Amino acid sequence: MDALVILIPLLPLGAALMLGLGILFDWWSGEEKESLTSGIALWTVTMSALLALTLFGADLAGKNRGSFNLGTWLQSDTFEIPVNFVTQGIGPRVAALFGIMLAIVVRFSINYMHREAGFHRFFFVLTLFSAAIQWLVLSGNAVGTFAGWEVAGLCSYLLIAYAYDRPAAAVNATRVFVTNRIGDAAFIIGIGLSYAYAESIDWMKLNTLAAQLSPGEATGIAFCFAVAAFVKSAQLPFTPWLLRALEGPTPSSAAFYGSVMVHAGVFLVCLLEPLFEMSAFAMGMLAVVGLATAIYAYLLGLTQTDVKTSLIAATSVQTGLMFFECGLGLWQLASWHLCAHVVVRGYQLLAAPSLMHNVLGNPVKPVNSVLARSYRLYTVSLQRFWLDSAIDYLFVRPIGRLSHDLRYFDDYIIDRILGSPAPAMRAISSLAQYEEQKIGARLNNESDLFAQGSGLAGKLAEWISALIHAFEDRFMLRGYGKNATILGRRIGRSANRFEAYILRPRYLVLFIFITLLVAF
Amino acid sequence: MNAAEFPVLSILIWLPLLGAIIVGCIRNLKAAKWGALAIAGLELVTALLAVIWFQSENSNELQWVEHHAWIDRLNIEYFLGVDGVSILLLPLSALLTLLTLLATWNSVQRLPHFHLSLLLALEGITMGVFTAMDMMLFFLFWELTLPPIFFLIGLWGIGPGRRAAAMKYTLVMLFGGVALLFAIILLAFNHVDAIHGTIPDDLAFSLPVLLTTPLSAHLETAVFFLLMVGFAVKAPLPPFHTWLPTVAMEGSTQMTSLLTGLKLGVYGIIRFGMPLAPTSTVEYNWTLGIIGAVTLIYGALVALQQSNFRRLLAYASISHIGLIIVGLSSLNMQGIQGALFQLVNFSVDASALMLIAGFIHHRLGSTERIHMGGLAKVMPRLTGFYFLFMLAGLGIPGTNGFPAELLLVVSALTSHPSLAIAALAGAVLSAAYMLSFTRRAFMGPTASAAVRQLQELRPRELSILCVFGALVISFGLWPDVILEKQRAAAEAWLNHLLEPPAMDGTDFDSNLPNPETRE
Repeated sequence: MDALVILIPLLPLGAALMLGLGILFDWWSGEEKESLTSGIALWTVTMSALLALTLFGADLAGKNRGSFNLGTWLQSDTFEIPVNFVTQGIGPRVAALFGIMLAIVVRFSINYMHREAGFHRFFFVLTLFSAAIQWLVLSGNAVGTFAGWEVAGLCSYLLIAYAYDRPAAAVNATRVFVTNRIGDAAFIIGIGLSYAYAESIDWMKLNTLAAQLSPGEATGIAFCFAVAAFVKSAQLPFTPWLLRALEGPTPSSAAFYGSVMVHAGVFLVCLLEPLFEMSAFAMGMLAVVGLATAIYAYLLGLTQTDVKTSLIAATSVQTGLMFFECGLGLWQLASWHLCAHVVVRGYQLLAAPSLMHNVLGNPVKPVNSVLARSYRLYTVSLQRFWLDSAIDYLFVRPIGRLSHDLRYFDDYIIDRILGSPAPAMRAISSLAQYEEQKIGARLNNESDLFAQGSGLAGKLAEWISALIHAFEDRFMLRGYGKNATILGRRIGRSANRFEAYILRPRYLVLFIFITLLVAF
Repeated sequence: MNAAEFPVLSILIWLPLLGAIIVGCIRNLKAAKWGALAIAGLELVTALLAVIWFQSENSNELQWVEHHAWIDRLNIEYFLGVDGVSILLLPLSALLTLLTLLATWNSVQRLPHFHLSLLLALEGITMGVFTAMDMMLFFLFWELTLPPIFFLIGLWGIGPGRRAAAMKYTLVMLFGGVALLFAIILLAFNHVDAIHGTIPDDLAFSLPVLLTTPLSAHLETAVFFLLMVGFAVKAPLPPFHTWLPTVAMEGSTQMTSLLTGLKLGVYGIIRFGMPLAPTSTVEYNWTLGIIGAVTLIYGALVALQQSNFRRLLAYASISHIGLIIVGLSSLNMQGIQGALFQLVNFSVDASALMLIAGFIHHRLGSTERIHMGGLAKVMPRLTGFYFLFMLAGLGIPGTNGFPAELLLVVSALTSHPSLAIAALAGAVLSAAYMLSFTRRAFMGPTASAAVRQLQELRPRELSILCVFGALVISFGLWPDVILEKQRAAAEAWLNHLLEPPAMDGTDFDSNLPNPETRE
């Protein structure tokens, strides 16, 4: 049954490819093709879910061999990246669950997105995301998981910017993607360290080799993967991106931030259980960050009045608790928690629009009594602990200013030192100058100078040329007479003699020798 | 297949050069265009045949070698050959020229014949740069690239300062050329010293010979830095980089696309700069790495502030070169393979983005972001392709940028971890500058009536981008196809650096053919 595993991500990927090409070349657009697009998407995602279920069943029945290898994707020296998948353990389990959730989301979206301008685009991204997330979950090596990880992040960007003509959506999408890149960078360092310390990027090998790593090495690798997981699952201090990510259409929010993608971080940590067990520091970090996020998101959730944001705050609480459980070593509990939460939150987010419909006109619930008593706590919660502003203040703005300074440095200092060629400066730059030149009024007398240079080299050349010119002017041109001719001839003769000497091989060799000596 | 005797490389060089003359002589513009296209197509086919017949298992050895005496007295030869380092650059530069010809099919109004001729001539000369194995021949081709580029920038540039930009480019390049020439002469004289020969009978300019000639430590350091300066100017590495943004702003986009796509400077560093001074390279690899990291971060930070698409691309390309240098400085297989891969990627991603900038400029008359706002609504197809190439530049899995960047970062992590972290900070910054530009230029409400009336990509333009797009995806999904062609060459390159020729020179003399018996 192992070979089935390859179809689980490839089916939605094929659908994404078809839809993508179709959109690009305008093969399908408009309402009449909606059923075709949604048909392709629903069929492939459902098939992929059924296959994932089959794989899971086969795993339960003990029919899987554990992995499926398709060959080498890339090889450089001992750094070899295979295309392999796992068919046992947590991977297929989560894949089956995610598959079902995605199929439900796709089915839901068909009606929800009907007659939307970006209908086809939406399904393209959703199928691409399904492929990516299944690849992430099922891949047997770190690079494969990373590929899914990053493409899922890209899909998230594309769906947040779904209504790209709204500036807010575009801003949030950019911010979310750039934040996610930090996690991706940590993931890449994790891959590099795994290769450097354990000489393997295969998850299974890495986990079995974990016992042989020194605590320091294990901590290094675990730390990197933990940071990657924190970013993806929106733990502190990266939590604010999750609240910005709700710009996308509701079904996509359900798939990405309610149920599927936000759990990828927890999944990664669960996958690397033996590695984390090796490092007390990493475990402690999981527990602390998880607990802190849970408390943070709980306080945040108290003041949310919007259904989506309050659900997302609740999601953060739960993922925080999952990390906390992982940190305490309750791996079994964490993975059950993950699965249960995927289902519940997915349902809640999908049901949110109907809920809004039903509660229309109901009075708004008063604020929580604890918060009502403490004015300060209320403000803190409402302002989301100023975390976003703090990140802005500490990182975004300084980098922006640095970049501004560097641009100035580049344009006004480096470029000036290198200089620009003379004709540019003597060229006519305005109509007024042109008129001036036409009537012969040379008001800017400087431009009469012939040899002008800019930049370091240009200025040097200008000064030297001025010097030589002065010399020539004073001594050669003015002093030119009979004596000068005789002197010139004499100099010429001795120069000839000198040249004859110097062209003899021994002098030539000597000359090269001296040059070499001087050079060092 | 008696491929060995067939002068493929000479054909690659001389076909476009002759074609340039022929096209220049054809009176009828349409015929000239089709003629130029046919020659570029023929060139591409020839280059592809060269790749197909290329034996990748022996990619460390020079293949398609041509050896003729040229300037006998100084032992300068007409010596051509390709190995795994350069083989893929031939079809890519042929393809790039072909697509550039197509991209400018209707947009060149003034002196169109001359434009076609110059593009073809530049193609032939570039082929010469990639295949020349004699230092002097290489230098000749290297400097010969300047006249066509000078005219291509100066005559068909789109900015008001195009003449100045052309001048600036040429002067800066000549400056680099001086350093290069000096290094070449030092090497040739050193060879004379090493075999205790006489000048000019024992001067050597052939690269394989110079690679096996031992250098004294002092001389080697000098050669290393001279070569690095010579190539850094072309690459470009700061502080010699300001010509690139200027050319991007003033020059025509097709010209800039060729300049950013064909990284002659980086090729020079890989082919000549590092191998000719192996001990210094190993000794100073940290310098190289730091220069790379600084370039990477510097380029990215400056790019963050750019409001013009073309300038942004120029700085992005500088930043990408920094990553290549970081990878090269780590002196391991992943580094060199990633660098060679990235060199291939450039000719696809960077050129495609620059051509897209050209398409926008051709329609809108500007690539400033305030003029572009909301382009996605009007030109969804162009935006789609833009996203593909931009994501390739960011190294998203599935595109060709990913395997190359992964290799480069892993290489840096295993040798200089701090540089790798700088590289990853650069990756975060690259997402920031590309996406914030995307947000302002492509997303948001449509900026103006001018944008609203823009015409979507035409079939000719669409097909150009499709070719690039197919390459981006296929290189990204099957990177081993490319790595396979270069593997043996990369291994040989690395071995040469880590085990340089013996210093004492005693056993060296016996390896060389006797000066008397050589013709």
